[in-house]
Amino acid sequence: MPLWLQEYSWRQTGSAVYLSLPLRGLRVSPANIFCTDQYLKVSVPPFLFEAFLYAPIDDTNSTAKIGNENIFFTLYKKEVAIWDSLTLANASKEKLQYLRQDAVLKAHKKAKEETEAKKVKKQEHKRYALEATMKLEEAERTRIEDLKEKERQEVTKELELWKKQQKEAEHQNRVQKEGELHQEVQQFNEKEKGKINKSRVPNEGTSKTRLKPTKGCRGSCSMFSENLKEEQLPAPRCAATIKINFTSRVFPTPLRESRVAEEEEWLHKQAEARRIVNADLSELEGLKEEEKNPDWLKDKGNKMFATGNYLAAVNAYNLAIRLNNKLPLLYLNRAACHLKLRNLHKAIKDSSKALELLTPPVPDNNSARVKAYVRRGTAFCQLELYTEGLQDYEAALKIDPKNEAIEKDAEKIRHLIQGTMQDS
Amino acid sequence: MSSVSERPQVVAHAQQALNYTLFDCKWVPRSARLLCLGSAARGTGILQLYELRSGRLVLLREIEKPKPIKCGTFGATSLQQRYLATGDFVGNLNIWNLEAPETPVYSVKGHKEIINSIDGVGGLGIGEGAPEIVTGSRDGTVKVWDPRQKDTPVVNMEPADGESKRDCWTVAFGNAYNQEERVVCAGYDNGDIKLFDLKTMSLRWETSIKNGVCSVEFDRKDVNMNKLVATSLEGKFHVFDMRTQHPTKGFASVSEKVWSDRELLSKRHTF
Repeated sequence: MPLWLQEYSWRQTGSAVYLSLPLRGLRVSPANIFCTDQYLKVSVPPFLFEAFLYAPIDDTNSTAKIGNENIFFTLYKKEVAIWDSLTLANASKEKLQYLRQDAVLKAHKKAKEETEAKKVKKQEHKRYALEATMKLEEAERTRIEDLKEKERQEVTKELELWKKQQKEAEHQNRVQKEGELHQEVQQFNEKEKGKINKSRVPNEGTSKTRLKPTKGCRGSCSMFSENLKEEQLPAPRCAATIKINFTSRVFPTPLRESRVAEEEEWLHKQAEARRIVNADLSELEGLKEEEKNPDWLKDKGNKMFATGNYLAAVNAYNLAIRLNNKLPLLYLNRAACHLKLRNLHKAIKDSSKALELLTPPVPDNNSARVKAYVRRGTAFCQLELYTEGLQDYEAALKIDPKNEAIEKDAEKIRHLIQGTMQDS
Repeated sequence: MSSVSERPQVVAHAQQALNYTLFDCKWVPRSARLLCLGSAARGTGILQLYELRSGRLVLLREIEKPKPIKCGTFGATSLQQRYLATGDFVGNLNIWNLEAPETPVYSVKGHKEIINSIDGVGGLGIGEGAPEIVTGSRDGTVKVWDPRQKDTPVVNMEPADGESKRDCWTVAFGNAYNQEERVVCAGYDNGDIKLFDLKTMSLRWETSIKNGVCSVEFDRKDVNMNKLVATSLEGKFHVFDMRTQHPTKGFASVSEKVWSDRELLSKRHTF
């Protein structure tokens, strides 16, 4: 139950109302004051002062001054009039209630409008600021552009001037040269006139033809002087060749720092893939770690082939193939061993397997495929299956037409075939 | 704002749109003309001669050749002759007289593959010694030619037998301060930089950087070798101090990451 404050005093002028509300020891802050255009409330719990104003006031411009002992309201009337009393008289309870609610609604609306107005204003300010900065930047840009344009024009002027000077210099040179030439011709003509007594026309004719030799003479003179100059230059160097080595690189692509990690990983994976895949072959438990690596075995086989130990080489290749049967080079090398051991059928089988694995035929495969064809061809010939042998040799020649050894062998086989055909 | 106005500004004087791929472009010495070399879409070589006139580029001549042209230089001709040496896509080295460009003054099938880079020294009144041209090609060889000697190069730097080749991407002459001294620097796609001394006909120095070498250039080719800049892939460049060579460590260098490079002859420290 609020305690109504009912002691107040007021006076009015035509346009304003002055209301004084005493507070005894109460602390009032602006939040406690609620005012709309026809309702005024001061609520400091538990005290309450309420006034339904006689006529509407301009609540935005009205003020409230909170003093030590009282609040002093200055309310500006909307309409200039003299109020009979401060508050409405004879108001029913419902009406009062309604007025109160109305006041609250009005206050809300006003607050909303105020926030809206503030937002709009803020946007305006932002836009203005943006436009101002844009203008500044634009000014700076045009300034730089102007400088550039000026520079451009100056340089163009200079260039044109320089070009004109060059032209004039050239022109003068030419005029000078022509003048000298003319003088020489005149001297020559005078000499001629003195010597020969002929009619004018032939004279002129001869003098005209004379022009060419003089020019030619001049030409040779200048060539002569140029030759002299050339001899001042050192003779061309004696030809030499410098052999160079490159830092090795597996990939044909250029070296890039950012790709080095990727490349290392790729190589590592390739090496891993070539290693033993099937680890539970029981016989392999007796072998050392490196003997399980097909590459290492291939190298071992190559070495033994080189020393002539063909059986051992075949063994090495066999083991390597058991570990990884997808490497064409292993079959290729084993075919070579078999050839040396005269296991011709095995040689043919291995070369065929190698060729099978060397599909697709690409330039990188060339040397390997040539070898495979040659070996198989040799095996066929040694089995006296010359036509098949020739077929393989021709296939080899197709890949590598410049190889003379293959050419010679192919010729030999052809002769052999023709020889046997003639016999039979 | 203040930083923008203090930064040096690049002034573009003229622009020209081209309908072919441009590979190289050189000023014709002592003139306002420039030469553009490249390849047309139909696979032929194009030489265009432009003149800079009052702020515009005017096309003076267009010459078409059977093979696309990759690079060119005026470095080895005299100022009167101004012959252009070009390298093309199939490995031919040609020297053209631009007044009569139908047949070359000198022509040789120098390399088996595209000539990537060409440089000339001894001409244009700069430096001393015989005029020479060096070409670097995709077949891994670097060859030095003398226009007075037909068909065979004067020096041939090629991979040793059995060695696999790397593409040579760039070549440059240097150290040509008297008639005998000359040095060729070559950069390869695997990051190798090799310095060949033509007086002793040997490899003087080599090093390897971590990226393929796009371009090498000495600050001036007609003085005692001072600075060598090498630019590489990944936007990095290295500057080598060529004045003192350590017997094992070679030349000192400094490296930075940047976006483009070309040494200005007028300001040797600017590029």
